[in-house]
Amino acid sequence: MPPKRKAAPAAAGAAKAGRTSAMSTPGPATPRSLDSSIMSEAEEDFDEDVTEAQKKREEMLGQEADEFVNSWALSSNRFQNKGKDKHYDAATHYFGGGKRDFSDLKLKPDYKNRPLWIDPLKGVIVLERFNPLAEQATDFLTTIAEPKSRPTFLHEYALTTHSLYAAVSVGLRPRDIINTLDRFLKTNLPVSIREFIESCTQSYGKVKLVLKNNKYFVESVDAEMLQKLLKDEIIGKLRLHGTEEVTTSYAPTMGGLVIPGTQNAAGVHQANLRKAGKAGESGEEGELFATLNAEEDDEDDKEAVHAFEIADVNVEQVQKRCLDLGYPILEEYDFRNDEVNATLDIDLRPNTSIRPYQEKSLSKMFGNGRAKSGIIVLPCGAGKTLVGITAACTIKKGIIVLCTSSMSVVQWRQEFLKWSNINPDDVAIFTAESKNKFSGNTGIIVTTYSMVTNNRERSHDSKKMMDFLKGREWGLMLLDEVHVVPADVFRRVISSIKSHSKLGLTATLLREDDKISHLNFLIGPKLYEANWMELSQQGHIAKVQCAEVWCPMPTEFYDEYLKASSRMKRTLYAMNPTKFQACQYLINYHEQRGDKIIVFSDELYSLKQYALKLGKVFIYGSTGQAERMQVLENFQHNPNVNTLFLSKIGDTSLDLPEATVLIQISSHFGSRRQEAQRLGRILRAKRRNDEGFNAFFYSLVSKDTQEMYYSSKRQAFLVDQGYAFKVITQLANIEKTPDLAFATAAERRELLQRTLVDNEKGTEEDVETDDLFGKVRGKKKGGAWGNGVRRTAGTLGELSGGQDMAYIEQNKAANRGLTKKAQKAGQSAFFKKIAREKERSRVGK
Amino acid sequence: MPRAIRGVLIECEPAIKSIIVHLDSANNDIIIEDLDESHLVVKENMVHLLKQKLEDRLKETYRPEEPLADSE
Repeated sequence: MPPKRKAAPAAAGAAKAGRTSAMSTPGPATPRSLDSSIMSEAEEDFDEDVTEAQKKREEMLGQEADEFVNSWALSSNRFQNKGKDKHYDAATHYFGGGKRDFSDLKLKPDYKNRPLWIDPLKGVIVLERFNPLAEQATDFLTTIAEPKSRPTFLHEYALTTHSLYAAVSVGLRPRDIINTLDRFLKTNLPVSIREFIESCTQSYGKVKLVLKNNKYFVESVDAEMLQKLLKDEIIGKLRLHGTEEVTTSYAPTMGGLVIPGTQNAAGVHQANLRKAGKAGESGEEGELFATLNAEEDDEDDKEAVHAFEIADVNVEQVQKRCLDLGYPILEEYDFRNDEVNATLDIDLRPNTSIRPYQEKSLSKMFGNGRAKSGIIVLPCGAGKTLVGITAACTIKKGIIVLCTSSMSVVQWRQEFLKWSNINPDDVAIFTAESKNKFSGNTGIIVTTYSMVTNNRERSHDSKKMMDFLKGREWGLMLLDEVHVVPADVFRRVISSIKSHSKLGLTATLLREDDKISHLNFLIGPKLYEANWMELSQQGHIAKVQCAEVWCPMPTEFYDEYLKASSRMKRTLYAMNPTKFQACQYLINYHEQRGDKIIVFSDELYSLKQYALKLGKVFIYGSTGQAERMQVLENFQHNPNVNTLFLSKIGDTSLDLPEATVLIQISSHFGSRRQEAQRLGRILRAKRRNDEGFNAFFYSLVSKDTQEMYYSSKRQAFLVDQGYAFKVITQLANIEKTPDLAFATAAERRELLQRTLVDNEKGTEEDVETDDLFGKVRGKKKGGAWGNGVRRTAGTLGELSGGQDMAYIEQNKAANRGLTKKAQKAGQSAFFKKIAREKERSRVGK
Repeated sequence: MPRAIRGVLIECEPAIKSIIVHLDSANNDIIIEDLDESHLVVKENMVHLLKQKLEDRLKETYRPEEPLADSE
């Protein structure tokens, strides 16, 4: 084996060189040469031809090398902590200029069996979905981190202060988080992450504010923490006198609490028949989840809690002060021990059973036998209402429900009657039209955000009603569609109505203005967020095929588009005749298949034009309530009405389980939320469980316009949820469609002219804003909207018919032709060019 | 007397042609002859400028390649 022997001294030499150079200047290049020396030493052991002296020399060298490696590792650690220098090699600069080179995080030997990667700088965790442990890891990650993106194979989660706050609020301890995370990670847990978790969890959730027997207590597991607060100059003074001692009691356990509708509850109701089934189920949920909830399940493991009382009026102040001190107060409601507020007789109907993910989300809320405030995020159509009702049935106290429109108020009441055994008299509605109170001493009130936040003069009735709402203490406040409501509205609601716990429900916890983080403090942390793809695989929501249809703009339209103002641009790309044809084609195609179709358009003008031209029904902001109901009913039950055109009033809270196809012709810029909400309209499709059923979501986009840009932006949220958008550039056989609209150039030009003239005045349509809130407010102001009487400012000429629309249109178009464009627009490009050249030559002379 | 101008024939999509016509309409210094839906002759010395202007215009329409959220 001569080559080996030859290699040995060479390697040793290299090591020597490396060592000396390293001693003078510890550089990143040294460890490589040292590695090779160690390797050569190992090889040397098998080589028997080596002389004794040489062996000794090499042993010595090896020892020296080991020592050096150790010292170097330490120093490298030091370097890394300082952030100055770390492992560096030829490939490093490809990873964000070396900043994202994490090769110094050593892989664990069995890394293949572990599903998680982590970015130590950003706290981004990447999960391998194909890993056998992925299920358990997902459960864990949804608890401690926020899902960023969840396509099929790789999921991304972000570890944030808020998510850790949420984790603590469901009862996880930092020790559990760090250990479990370490168990799932392919690499060792980076120090920075460990420190981050510790620092976040230390401050969050240590102090709780509990309403017990209508008295507020500040509570903590940590007695020292409480002493610290008491010594604080502000909080110390606010402590209620007469309760000098810090009381100590035992933390409640989940033990006796049963969330109705769960397997557990079914077991209790049905003579324990299902107990075995339940046990099996919880077994499936995974070892991990069981350990996470160990505190709640294990009744022996009781924890001592310490508390002191504060006066009701000072709650706000204490909360603020604690936030300043860096210990945000967690609010919890011990509803089972609340004897002051009357118990409401409400229970889920015995045949109701809630789905596993609904159960999971509620178990986060009632994790330790008390009600926590927070937000639950479920996709549209996944039964948010039922989650809210089940929460109400668990708490069994006075409930106040806030929703976005009077339409959904009615729907909420119906849902309550449908799923629970509550006495219909106990569910009251508070809207502009009806102001009922419940008959008993407690009950449910359903109302809208704008009703309770209205600052203007109220009618006598609603003022009385508001006083009633303010004067009571509510067990639970259900906030429907929390994402739509501005933060200041929330502040007003929360300050005027006292409730023990708040539950926000939404499908899309995002706002383009990023004000969503405010909700974290106003309502509570995000308790649970469901995975859309998983739910659709389990058949709880429909499978959807998403497609983006590119419609080229005809030249004449595009020419106008380039010249138009931004508002006119929007109208023009919505009125694109190619888009119209695509829409017509898709409607024909799907009507033949027996689908029910909803067409969405934000642009009122195009909405009307499309609907009228195609002879379909439509609803927009100023469609009367009665007419709406009639149209919706027809759409649901009449086999001849298969297509419905909706403006943006249909984006949220509209329940149409018949719809299976959705076509979007114009939309609100780059709003991701709108896209997701609209998709939600077809997720609850009735036929979703049919074999091979697919719902369809088409987004029609005019090519080469801003719409393309917005469209890609809008899709971001759905893509993160795992949806894939197909791009369709050509619809097959579209030219064979019978009665294809705007097939000839003449018709297209006519459409263009009409569009331009009709929209000349432009803003007219805008006044009738059909924003959900605008409408409801307008309704109240008018007071008599329902009677068809409206008061508008106008001229006498209007009444006499002197300002007739037809007259104006004719006049305008004619005038335009006569005056400013007469010389220019009338000429063909050829004559214009001749004229220009003449002009030029004249100037030249 | 016939005049001769050096020009470049451009073949493009109708939409791009529309944009070029729109750019030209400001001071009529780009296009020599408008041939049909997808063909134009433009002045040779303006080609470079035209490309640049077109690029700017298209940026409004298409989303530029999103840089990685975490790249520095």
